[in-house]
Amino acid sequence: MYGFEAMTFNIHGGYLEAIVRGHRSGLLTTADYNNLCQCETLDDIKMHLSATEYGPYLQNEPSPLHTTTIVEKCTLKLVDDYKHMLCQATEPLSTFLEYITYGHMIDNVVLIVTGTLHERDVQELLEKCHPLGMFDSIATLAVAQNMRELYRLVLVDTPLAPYFSECITSEDLDDMNIEIMRNTLYKAYLEDFYRFCQKLGGATAEIMSDLLAFEADRRAVNITINSIGTELTRDDRRKLYSNFGLFYPYGHEELAVCEDIDQVRAVMEKYPPYQSIFAKLSYGESQMLDKAFYEEEVKRHCLAFEQQFHYAVFFAYMRLREQEIRNLMWISECVAQNQKSRVHDSVVFIF
Amino acid sequence: MEEERREVCLNGEEEEVVIKDEDKVALQFMDSLHNYLSLSDSLSSTLRQGWLELASARYSMGTSRVNSSLLDLKFHSAATILKITENEDGKFCVFTCFFMMPFCNITCTTLYDSIGTQPHFTLQKWVSSEHELESTKLEYKNEQPQDSNSIKSSENLMGLADNDEVQKERHKSLSVFGVLISPKLRATQLSFEKALETLIEIANLRSSLLHSFSQLNQEVEDTKE
Repeated sequence: MYGFEAMTFNIHGGYLEAIVRGHRSGLLTTADYNNLCQCETLDDIKMHLSATEYGPYLQNEPSPLHTTTIVEKCTLKLVDDYKHMLCQATEPLSTFLEYITYGHMIDNVVLIVTGTLHERDVQELLEKCHPLGMFDSIATLAVAQNMRELYRLVLVDTPLAPYFSECITSEDLDDMNIEIMRNTLYKAYLEDFYRFCQKLGGATAEIMSDLLAFEADRRAVNITINSIGTELTRDDRRKLYSNFGLFYPYGHEELAVCEDIDQVRAVMEKYPPYQSIFAKLSYGESQMLDKAFYEEEVKRHCLAFEQQFHYAVFFAYMRLREQEIRNLMWISECVAQNQKSRVHDSVVFIF
Repeated sequence: MEEERREVCLNGEEEEVVIKDEDKVALQFMDSLHNYLSLSDSLSSTLRQGWLELASARYSMGTSRVNSSLLDLKFHSAATILKITENEDGKFCVFTCFFMMPFCNITCTTLYDSIGTQPHFTLQKWVSSEHELESTKLEYKNEQPQDSNSIKSSENLMGLADNDEVQKERHKSLSVFGVLISPKLRATQLSFEKALETLIEIANLRSSLLHSFSQLNQEVEDTKE
Protein backbone atom coordinates (compact mmCIF):
# COMPACT_ATOMS: atom_id res chain seq x y z
CA MET A 1 0.00 0.00 0.00
CA TYR A 2 2.53 2.64 1.10
CA GLY A 3 6.29 2.25 1.58
CA PHE A 4 6.23 -0.58 4.11
CA GLU A 5 6.46 1.95 6.96
CA ALA A 6 5.34 -0.76 9.36
CA MET A 7 8.70 -2.42 8.95
CA THR A 8 10.97 0.58 9.47
CA PHE A 9 9.06 3.44 11.12
CA ASN A 10 9.52 2.26 14.70
CA ILE A 11 13.31 2.24 14.42
CA HIS A 12 13.46 6.04 14.63
CA GLY A 13 9.88 7.16 15.18
CA GLY A 14 8.36 4.46 17.36
CA TYR A 15 9.21 6.00 20.70
CA LEU A 16 7.93 9.44 19.78
CA GLU A 17 4.76 8.10 18.20
CA ALA A 18 4.05 6.32 21.47
CA ILE A 19 4.78 9.53 23.36
CA VAL A 20 2.45 11.61 21.22
CA ARG A 21 -0.33 9.03 21.49
CA GLY A 22 0.11 9.18 25.26
CA HIS A 23 -0.20 12.98 25.13
CA ARG A 24 -3.30 12.63 22.98
CA SER A 25 -5.01 10.55 25.66
CA GLY A 26 -4.40 13.42 28.07
CA LEU A 27 -6.59 15.83 26.08
CA LEU A 28 -9.70 17.02 27.90
CA THR A 29 -12.86 14.98 27.44
CA THR A 30 -16.50 16.05 27.21
CA ALA A 31 -16.92 15.32 30.92
CA ASP A 32 -14.02 17.67 31.71
CA TYR A 33 -15.58 20.41 29.60
CA ASN A 34 -18.97 19.93 31.27
CA ASN A 35 -17.33 20.40 34.67
CA LEU A 36 -15.43 23.44 33.48
CA CYS A 37 -18.55 25.02 31.98
CA GLN A 38 -20.24 24.87 35.37
CA CYS A 39 -17.49 26.76 37.18
CA GLU A 40 -18.46 30.01 38.86
CA THR A 41 -15.00 31.59 39.12
CA LEU A 42 -11.57 31.27 37.56
CA ASP A 43 -10.34 29.66 40.77
CA ASP A 44 -12.91 26.90 40.23
CA ILE A 45 -11.47 26.39 36.75
CA LYS A 46 -8.00 26.16 38.24
CA MET A 47 -9.26 23.59 40.73
CA HIS A 48 -10.78 21.44 37.97
CA LEU A 49 -7.67 21.72 35.83
CA SER A 50 -5.49 20.64 38.76
CA ALA A 51 -6.71 17.09 38.12
CA THR A 52 -5.60 17.24 34.47
CA GLU A 53 -2.18 17.50 32.82
CA TYR A 54 -2.34 21.27 33.28
CA GLY A 55 -2.34 20.87 37.06
CA PRO A 56 1.41 21.32 37.67
CA TYR A 57 1.45 24.47 35.52
CA LEU A 58 -1.37 26.22 37.36
CA GLN A 59 -0.90 25.06 40.92
CA ASN A 60 1.48 27.86 41.95
CA GLU A 61 -0.49 30.68 40.40
CA PRO A 62 -1.84 33.05 43.04
CA SER A 63 -5.40 34.32 43.18
CA PRO A 64 -6.98 36.31 41.68
CA LEU A 65 -6.39 34.53 38.39
CA HIS A 66 -6.73 36.16 34.99
CA THR A 67 -7.79 34.51 31.76
CA THR A 68 -4.47 35.42 30.15
CA THR A 69 -2.63 33.62 32.95
CA ILE A 70 -4.60 30.43 32.35
CA VAL A 71 -3.86 30.60 28.61
CA GLU A 72 -0.15 31.28 29.19
CA LYS A 73 0.31 28.40 31.60
CA CYS A 74 -1.60 25.95 29.42
CA THR A 75 0.54 27.04 26.46
CA LEU A 76 3.66 26.24 28.51
CA LYS A 77 2.45 22.65 28.75
CA LEU A 78 2.20 22.49 24.94
CA VAL A 79 5.67 24.01 24.60
CA ASP A 80 7.19 21.50 27.03
CA ASP A 81 5.61 18.58 25.17
CA TYR A 82 6.90 19.93 21.87
CA LYS A 83 10.44 20.55 23.12
CA HIS A 84 10.65 17.07 24.55
CA MET A 85 9.60 15.55 21.22
CA LEU A 86 11.93 17.82 19.25
CA CYS A 87 15.00 16.98 21.29
CA GLN A 88 14.30 13.25 20.88
CA ALA A 89 13.57 13.41 17.15
CA THR A 90 15.91 12.51 14.33
CA GLU A 91 15.70 13.57 10.73
CA PRO A 92 13.35 13.94 8.95
CA LEU A 93 10.98 14.07 11.92
CA SER A 94 12.94 16.92 13.53
CA THR A 95 12.53 19.06 10.40
CA PHE A 96 8.84 18.14 10.30
CA LEU A 97 8.42 19.26 13.91
CA GLU A 98 10.22 22.52 13.19
CA TYR A 99 7.87 23.22 10.30
CA ILE A 100 4.96 23.11 12.73
CA THR A 101 6.30 26.19 14.54
CA TYR A 102 6.95 28.43 11.53
CA GLY A 103 3.38 29.72 11.61
CA HIS A 104 3.94 31.00 15.14
CA MET A 105 7.22 32.50 14.05
CA ILE A 106 5.43 34.50 11.36
CA ASP A 107 2.84 35.68 13.90
CA ASN A 108 5.61 36.80 16.27
CA VAL A 109 7.46 38.69 13.52
CA VAL A 110 4.29 40.54 12.56
CA LEU A 111 3.48 41.27 16.22
CA ILE A 112 6.91 42.82 16.83
CA VAL A 113 6.86 44.83 13.60
CA THR A 114 3.30 46.09 14.16
CA GLY A 115 3.96 46.95 17.78
CA THR A 116 7.15 48.82 16.85
CA LEU A 117 5.22 50.78 14.23
CA HIS A 118 2.85 51.78 17.01
CA GLU A 119 5.77 52.85 19.25
CA ARG A 120 5.31 50.10 21.78
CA ASP A 121 8.08 48.87 24.06
CA VAL A 122 9.91 45.87 22.63
CA GLN A 123 10.01 44.05 25.98
CA GLU A 124 6.24 44.34 26.26
CA LEU A 125 5.87 42.90 22.78
CA LEU A 126 8.26 40.03 23.47
CA GLU A 127 6.13 38.99 26.44
CA LYS A 128 3.14 38.65 24.11
CA CYS A 129 4.96 36.48 21.57
CA HIS A 130 4.09 32.81 21.28
CA PRO A 131 6.89 30.74 22.86
CA LEU A 132 6.90 28.24 20.00
CA GLY A 133 7.73 30.99 17.53
CA MET A 134 10.72 32.53 19.32
CA PHE A 135 14.15 32.77 17.74
CA ASP A 136 17.40 34.38 18.85
CA SER A 137 17.40 37.66 16.98
CA ILE A 138 13.69 38.41 17.32
CA ALA A 139 14.22 41.54 19.43
CA THR A 140 16.25 43.21 16.67
CA LEU A 141 13.17 43.26 14.44
CA ALA A 142 12.32 46.58 16.07
CA VAL A 143 15.09 48.43 14.18
CA ALA A 144 13.84 47.63 10.66
CA GLN A 145 12.06 50.37 8.69
CA ASN A 146 11.05 48.38 5.61
CA MET A 147 10.89 44.78 4.48
CA ARG A 148 14.28 44.86 2.83
CA GLU A 149 15.89 45.81 6.14
CA LEU A 150 13.72 43.30 7.96
CA TYR A 151 15.12 40.58 5.75
CA ARG A 152 18.72 41.80 5.60
CA LEU A 153 19.17 42.54 9.30
CA VAL A 154 17.23 39.76 10.97
CA LEU A 155 15.30 37.24 8.96
CA VAL A 156 18.02 36.16 6.57
CA ASP A 157 19.36 33.79 9.26
CA THR A 158 15.99 32.36 10.23
CA PRO A 159 13.92 29.57 8.67
CA LEU A 160 11.57 32.26 7.29
CA ALA A 161 14.23 33.62 4.92
CA PRO A 162 13.14 31.58 1.87
CA TYR A 163 9.58 32.86 2.27
CA PHE A 164 10.60 36.48 1.88
CA SER A 165 11.49 36.35 -1.78
CA GLU A 166 7.93 37.25 -2.81
CA CYS A 167 7.47 40.20 -0.51
CA ILE A 168 10.73 42.09 -0.36
CA THR A 169 10.18 45.74 -1.15
CA SER A 170 11.75 48.98 -0.05
CA GLU A 171 8.39 50.48 0.87
CA ASP A 172 8.05 51.59 4.43
CA LEU A 173 6.11 49.27 6.66
CA ASP A 174 2.49 50.29 7.21
CA ASP A 175 -0.64 48.45 8.24
CA MET A 176 -1.54 47.27 4.74
CA ASN A 177 2.00 46.22 3.83
CA ILE A 178 2.34 44.33 7.09
CA GLU A 179 -0.94 42.51 6.47
CA ILE A 180 0.11 41.55 2.97
CA MET A 181 3.51 40.46 4.31
CA ARG A 182 1.83 38.28 6.96
CA ASN A 183 -0.37 36.51 4.47
CA THR A 184 2.29 36.19 1.80
CA LEU A 185 4.69 34.63 4.30
CA TYR A 186 2.05 32.25 5.52
CA LYS A 187 1.16 31.27 1.97
CA ALA A 188 4.81 30.54 1.17
CA TYR A 189 5.20 28.59 4.42
CA LEU A 190 2.14 26.41 3.75
CA GLU A 191 3.27 25.65 0.21
CA ASP A 192 6.78 24.79 1.43
CA PHE A 193 5.41 22.54 4.18
CA TYR A 194 3.15 20.85 1.62
CA ARG A 195 6.09 20.17 -0.70
CA PHE A 196 8.15 18.79 2.18
CA CYS A 197 5.37 16.38 3.16
CA GLN A 198 5.00 15.27 -0.44
CA LYS A 199 8.71 14.45 -0.49
CA LEU A 200 8.34 12.35 2.66
CA GLY A 201 5.78 10.24 0.84
CA GLY A 202 3.69 7.37 2.22
CA ALA A 203 1.00 7.84 4.83
CA THR A 204 2.57 11.12 5.99
CA ALA A 205 2.17 12.65 2.54
CA GLU A 206 -1.39 11.46 2.13
CA ILE A 207 -2.70 12.55 5.52
CA MET A 208 -0.74 15.80 5.72
CA SER A 209 -1.88 16.75 2.19
CA ASP A 210 -5.46 16.54 3.36
CA LEU A 211 -4.80 18.51 6.56
CA LEU A 212 -2.73 21.22 4.87
CA ALA A 213 -5.21 21.51 1.99
CA PHE A 214 -7.98 22.14 4.52
CA GLU A 215 -5.78 24.75 6.22
CA ALA A 216 -5.15 26.47 2.87
CA ASP A 217 -8.85 26.44 1.96
CA ARG A 218 -9.86 27.78 5.34
CA ARG A 219 -7.33 30.61 5.03
CA ALA A 220 -8.68 31.44 1.58
CA VAL A 221 -12.22 31.73 2.95
CA ASN A 222 -11.11 33.80 5.96
CA ILE A 223 -9.05 36.15 3.77
CA THR A 224 -12.06 36.60 1.49
CA ILE A 225 -14.51 37.32 4.30
CA ASN A 226 -12.13 39.58 6.21
CA SER A 227 -11.23 41.59 3.12
CA ILE A 228 -14.84 42.40 2.20
CA GLY A 229 -15.27 46.16 2.47
CA THR A 230 -11.53 46.86 2.78
CA GLU A 231 -9.08 48.46 0.36
CA LEU A 232 -7.59 45.11 -0.67
CA THR A 233 -8.11 44.72 -4.41
CA ARG A 234 -9.30 41.54 -6.05
CA ASP A 235 -5.88 40.91 -7.57
CA ASP A 236 -4.14 41.36 -4.23
CA ARG A 237 -6.68 39.09 -2.60
CA ARG A 238 -6.12 36.42 -5.26
CA LYS A 239 -2.35 36.59 -4.69
CA LEU A 240 -2.78 35.71 -1.01
CA TYR A 241 -4.45 32.35 -1.71
CA SER A 242 -2.19 29.28 -1.57
CA ASN A 243 -1.49 27.36 -4.78
CA PHE A 244 -2.93 24.09 -3.54
CA GLY A 245 -6.04 22.84 -1.84
CA LEU A 246 -9.51 21.91 -2.98
CA PHE A 247 -10.33 25.46 -4.08
CA TYR A 248 -7.22 25.75 -6.26
CA PRO A 249 -7.51 27.05 -8.96
CA TYR A 250 -11.15 27.57 -9.93
CA GLY A 251 -12.53 28.13 -6.45
CA HIS A 252 -9.95 30.83 -5.90
CA GLU A 253 -11.08 32.66 -9.05
CA GLU A 254 -14.62 32.71 -7.71
CA LEU A 255 -13.62 33.64 -4.17
CA ALA A 256 -11.53 36.55 -5.41
CA VAL A 257 -14.64 38.33 -6.73
CA CYS A 258 -16.95 37.67 -3.76
CA GLU A 259 -18.47 40.79 -2.20
CA ASP A 260 -20.46 39.28 0.65
CA ILE A 261 -20.79 36.18 2.81
CA ASP A 262 -23.60 34.69 0.72
CA GLN A 263 -21.42 34.69 -2.39
CA VAL A 264 -18.69 32.93 -0.41
CA ARG A 265 -21.27 30.40 0.69
CA ALA A 266 -22.33 29.82 -2.93
CA VAL A 267 -18.71 29.09 -3.88
CA MET A 268 -18.11 26.71 -0.97
CA GLU A 269 -21.29 24.76 -1.49
CA LYS A 270 -19.99 23.56 -4.84
CA TYR A 271 -17.40 21.49 -2.97
CA PRO A 272 -18.97 18.52 -1.15
CA PRO A 273 -16.49 18.35 1.76
CA TYR A 274 -17.43 21.93 2.72
CA GLN A 275 -21.18 21.66 2.24
CA SER A 276 -21.59 20.38 5.78
CA ILE A 277 -19.88 23.50 7.16
CA PHE A 278 -22.35 25.94 5.70
CA ALA A 279 -25.27 23.61 6.30
CA LYS A 280 -24.98 24.56 9.98
CA LEU A 281 -25.28 28.29 9.23
CA SER A 282 -28.22 30.38 8.14
CA TYR A 283 -27.96 32.77 5.21
CA GLY A 284 -26.03 35.95 5.92
CA GLU A 285 -24.59 34.54 9.14
CA SER A 286 -20.84 34.53 9.56
CA GLN A 287 -20.46 34.58 13.34
CA MET A 288 -20.53 30.79 13.73
CA LEU A 289 -18.36 30.10 10.69
CA ASP A 290 -15.18 30.00 12.75
CA LYS A 291 -16.62 27.40 15.09
CA ALA A 292 -17.84 25.33 12.12
CA PHE A 293 -14.34 25.38 10.62
CA TYR A 294 -12.75 24.46 13.94
CA GLU A 295 -15.14 21.53 14.33
CA GLU A 296 -14.25 20.24 10.88
CA GLU A 297 -10.56 20.69 11.61
CA VAL A 298 -10.82 18.78 14.90
CA LYS A 299 -12.65 15.95 13.16
CA ARG A 300 -9.87 15.63 10.57
CA HIS A 301 -7.11 15.78 13.15
CA CYS A 302 -8.74 13.09 15.28
CA LEU A 303 -8.94 10.86 12.21
CA ALA A 304 -5.16 11.20 11.77
CA PHE A 305 -4.70 9.07 14.89
CA GLU A 306 -6.60 6.19 13.31
CA GLN A 307 -3.54 5.23 11.30
CA GLN A 308 -0.02 4.36 12.46
CA PHE A 309 3.54 4.93 11.26
CA HIS A 310 3.29 8.48 9.99
CA TYR A 311 4.23 11.98 11.16
CA ALA A 312 0.81 13.57 10.82
CA VAL A 313 -0.03 12.48 14.38
CA PHE A 314 2.47 15.07 15.66
CA PHE A 315 0.90 17.84 13.64
CA ALA A 316 -2.57 16.72 14.66
CA TYR A 317 -1.64 16.60 18.35
CA MET A 318 -0.23 20.13 18.28
CA ARG A 319 -3.34 21.47 16.57
CA LEU A 320 -5.68 19.64 18.93
CA ARG A 321 -3.83 20.99 21.93
CA GLU A 322 -4.07 24.52 20.51
CA GLN A 323 -7.82 24.04 20.06
CA GLU A 324 -8.06 22.87 23.65
CA ILE A 325 -6.26 26.01 24.82
CA ARG A 326 -8.69 28.10 22.76
CA ASN A 327 -11.56 26.28 24.44
CA LEU A 328 -10.11 26.99 27.87
CA MET A 329 -9.65 30.64 26.96
CA TRP A 330 -13.28 30.91 25.87
CA ILE A 331 -14.62 29.15 28.94
CA SER A 332 -12.46 31.37 31.19
CA GLU A 333 -13.72 34.52 29.46
CA CYS A 334 -17.35 33.45 29.81
CA VAL A 335 -16.86 32.65 33.50
CA ALA A 336 -14.94 35.88 34.16
CA GLN A 337 -17.62 37.96 32.39
CA ASN A 338 -20.46 36.06 34.09
CA GLN A 339 -21.87 34.96 30.74
CA LYS A 340 -21.97 31.21 31.18
CA SER A 341 -25.05 30.92 28.99
CA ARG A 342 -22.83 31.72 25.99
CA VAL A 343 -20.11 29.22 26.83
CA HIS A 344 -21.26 26.67 24.27
CA ASP A 345 -21.13 29.24 21.45
CA SER A 346 -17.49 28.51 20.74
CA VAL A 347 -16.35 25.42 22.65
CA VAL A 348 -15.37 22.63 20.25
CA PHE A 349 -15.36 19.22 21.87
CA ILE A 350 -12.45 17.07 20.79
CA PHE A 351 -13.77 13.68 21.90
CA MET B 1 -48.62 79.24 41.39
CA GLU B 2 -49.65 78.38 37.92
CA GLU B 3 -52.16 75.70 37.55
CA GLU B 4 -53.21 73.75 34.58
CA ARG B 5 -56.68 72.48 34.19
CA ARG B 6 -57.30 69.34 32.22
CA GLU B 7 -60.30 67.30 31.57
CA VAL B 8 -59.66 63.66 32.24
CA CYS B 9 -62.02 60.75 31.71
CA LEU B 10 -62.14 58.45 34.69
CA ASN B 11 -64.69 55.64 34.86
CA GLY B 12 -66.57 57.17 31.93
CA GLU B 13 -67.13 60.47 33.72
CA GLU B 14 -65.29 63.59 32.87
CA GLU B 15 -63.56 65.17 35.77
CA GLU B 16 -61.56 68.32 35.96
CA VAL B 17 -58.05 67.69 37.35
CA VAL B 18 -55.85 70.52 38.45
CA ILE B 19 -52.18 69.90 37.71
CA LYS B 20 -49.94 72.17 39.68
CA ASP B 21 -46.65 73.36 38.33
CA GLU B 22 -44.65 71.50 40.91
CA ASP B 23 -46.51 68.30 40.06
CA LYS B 24 -45.48 68.79 36.46
CA VAL B 25 -41.84 69.08 37.50
CA ALA B 26 -42.20 66.04 39.76
CA LEU B 27 -43.72 64.01 36.92
CA GLN B 28 -40.94 65.15 34.62
CA PHE B 29 -38.39 64.12 37.23
CA MET B 30 -39.89 60.66 37.61
CA ASP B 31 -40.14 60.17 33.85
CA SER B 32 -36.49 61.14 33.51
CA LEU B 33 -35.55 58.77 36.32
CA HIS B 34 -37.39 55.91 34.65
CA ASN B 35 -35.63 56.62 31.36
CA TYR B 36 -32.30 56.92 33.20
CA LEU B 37 -32.72 53.49 34.76
CA SER B 38 -33.77 51.96 31.42
CA LEU B 39 -30.74 53.47 29.69
CA SER B 40 -28.44 52.21 32.44
CA ASP B 41 -29.75 48.69 31.88
CA SER B 42 -29.32 49.09 28.16
CA LEU B 43 -25.75 50.32 28.63
CA SER B 44 -24.93 47.39 30.87
CA SER B 45 -26.20 44.84 28.34
CA THR B 46 -24.47 46.62 25.42
CA LEU B 47 -21.15 46.61 27.27
CA ARG B 48 -21.56 42.93 28.17
CA GLN B 49 -22.25 42.17 24.52
CA GLY B 50 -19.19 44.17 23.48
CA TRP B 51 -16.82 42.44 25.87
CA LEU B 52 -18.08 39.02 24.84
CA GLU B 53 -17.67 39.88 21.17
CA LEU B 54 -14.11 40.99 21.91
CA ALA B 55 -13.43 37.64 23.55
CA SER B 56 -14.97 35.97 20.50
CA ALA B 57 -12.70 37.98 18.20
CA ARG B 58 -9.66 36.88 20.24
CA TYR B 59 -10.88 33.29 19.93
CA SER B 60 -11.09 33.58 16.13
CA MET B 61 -8.06 35.70 15.37
CA GLY B 62 -5.75 34.53 18.14
CA THR B 63 -4.35 36.29 21.18
CA SER B 64 -1.29 37.56 19.30
CA ARG B 65 -3.49 39.58 16.93
CA VAL B 66 -5.92 41.01 19.48
CA ASN B 67 -4.16 42.34 22.55
CA SER B 68 -3.50 45.65 24.23
CA SER B 69 0.17 45.80 23.22
CA LEU B 70 -0.90 46.55 19.62
CA LEU B 71 -2.64 49.81 20.50
CA ASP B 72 -1.08 52.82 18.83
CA LEU B 73 0.90 55.13 21.12
CA LYS B 74 1.80 57.53 18.32
CA PHE B 75 0.38 61.01 18.49
CA HIS B 76 -2.76 61.36 16.37
CA SER B 77 -5.95 63.39 16.39
CA ALA B 78 -8.98 62.18 18.24
CA ALA B 79 -11.50 60.06 16.41
CA THR B 80 -14.37 61.29 18.56
CA ILE B 81 -15.07 64.58 20.31
CA LEU B 82 -17.34 65.22 23.24
CA LYS B 83 -18.76 68.73 23.53
CA ILE B 84 -20.35 70.05 26.67
CA THR B 85 -22.47 73.17 26.42
CA GLU B 86 -24.12 74.94 29.30
CA ASN B 87 -27.38 76.45 28.30
CA GLU B 88 -27.61 79.58 30.35
CA ASP B 89 -24.47 81.68 30.11
CA GLY B 90 -22.90 80.43 26.90
CA LYS B 91 -19.80 78.83 28.35
CA PHE B 92 -18.65 75.72 26.67
CA CYS B 93 -15.92 73.20 27.10
CA VAL B 94 -14.41 70.96 24.52
CA PHE B 95 -12.99 67.67 25.64
CA THR B 96 -11.31 65.37 23.23
CA CYS B 97 -11.32 61.68 23.69
CA PHE B 98 -9.98 58.73 21.82
CA PHE B 99 -12.46 56.26 20.60
CA MET B 100 -10.13 53.41 19.88
CA MET B 101 -12.38 50.44 20.04
CA PRO B 102 -12.70 48.74 22.43
CA PHE B 103 -10.67 50.95 24.70
CA CYS B 104 -12.47 54.22 25.25
CA ASN B 105 -10.60 56.93 27.09
CA ILE B 106 -13.00 59.67 28.10
CA THR B 107 -11.13 62.03 30.36
CA CYS B 108 -13.68 64.80 30.63
CA THR B 109 -15.47 65.80 33.77
CA THR B 110 -18.70 67.72 33.93
CA LEU B 111 -18.74 71.38 34.84
CA TYR B 112 -22.21 71.18 36.20
CA ASP B 113 -23.23 74.11 38.26
CA SER B 114 -25.93 72.95 40.59
CA ILE B 115 -27.78 76.22 40.51
CA GLY B 116 -29.49 77.29 37.34
CA THR B 117 -27.40 75.65 34.62
CA GLN B 118 -27.98 72.45 32.72
CA PRO B 119 -25.04 71.15 30.69
CA HIS B 120 -25.76 69.34 27.46
CA PHE B 121 -23.47 66.68 26.02
CA THR B 122 -22.96 66.14 22.32
CA LEU B 123 -20.87 63.50 20.58
CA GLN B 124 -19.11 64.03 17.27
CA LYS B 125 -17.97 60.67 15.99
CA TRP B 126 -15.33 59.80 13.44
CA VAL B 127 -14.04 63.32 12.89
CA SER B 128 -10.29 62.63 13.03
CA SER B 129 -9.82 63.50 9.36
CA GLU B 130 -11.43 66.93 9.83
CA HIS B 131 -10.27 68.15 13.20
CA GLU B 132 -6.73 68.97 14.23
CA LEU B 133 -7.40 69.07 17.96
CA GLU B 134 -4.72 67.57 20.16
CA SER B 135 -5.72 64.31 21.67
CA THR B 136 -5.34 65.21 25.35
CA LYS B 137 -5.88 68.93 25.22
CA LEU B 138 -8.48 70.37 27.56
CA GLU B 139 -9.79 73.68 26.28
CA TYR B 140 -12.05 75.84 28.37
CA LYS B 141 -13.43 78.85 26.56
CA ASN B 142 -15.46 81.50 28.29
CA GLU B 143 -17.07 83.10 25.29
CA GLN B 144 -20.48 83.74 23.85
CA PRO B 145 -21.39 81.43 21.02
CA GLN B 146 -21.02 83.37 17.80
CA ASP B 147 -24.06 81.91 16.23
CA SER B 148 -26.79 80.19 18.18
CA ASN B 149 -27.67 78.20 15.07
CA SER B 150 -24.18 76.76 14.89
CA ILE B 151 -24.60 75.32 18.38
CA LYS B 152 -27.92 73.77 17.43
CA SER B 153 -26.45 72.34 14.26
CA SER B 154 -23.49 71.00 16.20
CA GLU B 155 -25.91 69.39 18.63
CA ASN B 156 -27.42 67.54 15.72
CA LEU B 157 -24.07 66.41 14.34
CA MET B 158 -23.43 62.75 15.00
CA GLY B 159 -20.40 62.38 12.73
CA LEU B 160 -19.59 62.67 9.10
CA ALA B 161 -22.52 62.69 6.76
CA ASP B 162 -20.99 60.36 4.20
CA ASN B 163 -21.36 56.68 5.13
CA ASP B 164 -18.23 55.71 3.19
CA GLU B 165 -16.17 58.20 5.16
CA VAL B 166 -17.54 56.84 8.41
CA GLN B 167 -16.68 53.29 7.34
CA LYS B 168 -13.18 54.42 6.42
CA GLU B 169 -12.73 56.03 9.82
CA ARG B 170 -13.97 52.86 11.50
CA HIS B 171 -11.54 50.71 9.51
CA LYS B 172 -8.73 53.13 10.27
CA SER B 173 -9.48 52.86 13.96
CA LEU B 174 -9.40 49.06 13.82
CA SER B 175 -6.30 48.90 11.65
CA VAL B 176 -4.11 48.64 14.77
CA PHE B 177 -5.17 44.99 14.85
CA GLY B 178 -4.44 44.51 11.14
CA VAL B 179 -6.28 45.16 7.89
CA LEU B 180 -7.86 41.73 7.41
CA ILE B 181 -9.76 41.41 10.66
CA SER B 182 -12.64 39.19 11.64
CA PRO B 183 -16.24 40.52 11.34
CA LYS B 184 -16.47 39.82 15.08
CA LEU B 185 -14.00 42.61 15.79
CA ARG B 186 -16.08 45.01 13.69
CA ALA B 187 -19.17 43.92 15.62
CA THR B 188 -17.28 44.66 18.84
CA GLN B 189 -16.50 48.15 17.61
CA LEU B 190 -20.17 48.80 16.83
CA SER B 191 -21.20 47.57 20.29
CA PHE B 192 -18.79 49.88 22.06
CA GLU B 193 -19.79 52.73 19.77
CA LYS B 194 -23.42 52.17 20.74
CA ALA B 195 -22.38 52.05 24.39
CA LEU B 196 -20.67 55.42 23.99
CA GLU B 197 -23.83 56.93 22.51
CA THR B 198 -25.86 55.48 25.36
CA LEU B 199 -23.42 56.99 27.86
CA ILE B 200 -23.97 60.42 26.33
CA GLU B 201 -27.73 59.96 26.49
CA ILE B 202 -27.38 58.96 30.14
CA ALA B 203 -25.24 62.04 30.82
CA ASN B 204 -27.87 64.30 29.21
CA LEU B 205 -30.65 62.57 31.08
CA ARG B 206 -28.78 62.88 34.35
CA SER B 207 -28.23 66.53 33.69
CA SER B 208 -31.97 66.95 33.09
CA LEU B 209 -32.74 64.90 36.24
CA LEU B 210 -30.53 67.04 38.44
CA HIS B 211 -31.95 70.19 36.90
CA SER B 212 -35.54 69.00 37.58
CA PHE B 213 -34.55 68.00 41.10
CA SER B 214 -33.06 71.40 41.80
CA GLN B 215 -36.17 73.09 40.41
CA LEU B 216 -38.38 70.92 42.63
CA ASN B 217 -36.27 71.79 45.66
CA GLN B 218 -36.54 75.43 44.76
CA GLU B 219 -40.33 75.21 44.48
CA VAL B 220 -40.60 73.41 47.81
CA GLU B 221 -38.48 76.05 49.49
CA ASP B 222 -40.56 78.79 47.90
CA THR B 223 -43.71 77.10 49.19
CA LYS B 224 -42.32 76.95 52.72
CA GLU B 225 -41.54 80.63 52.61
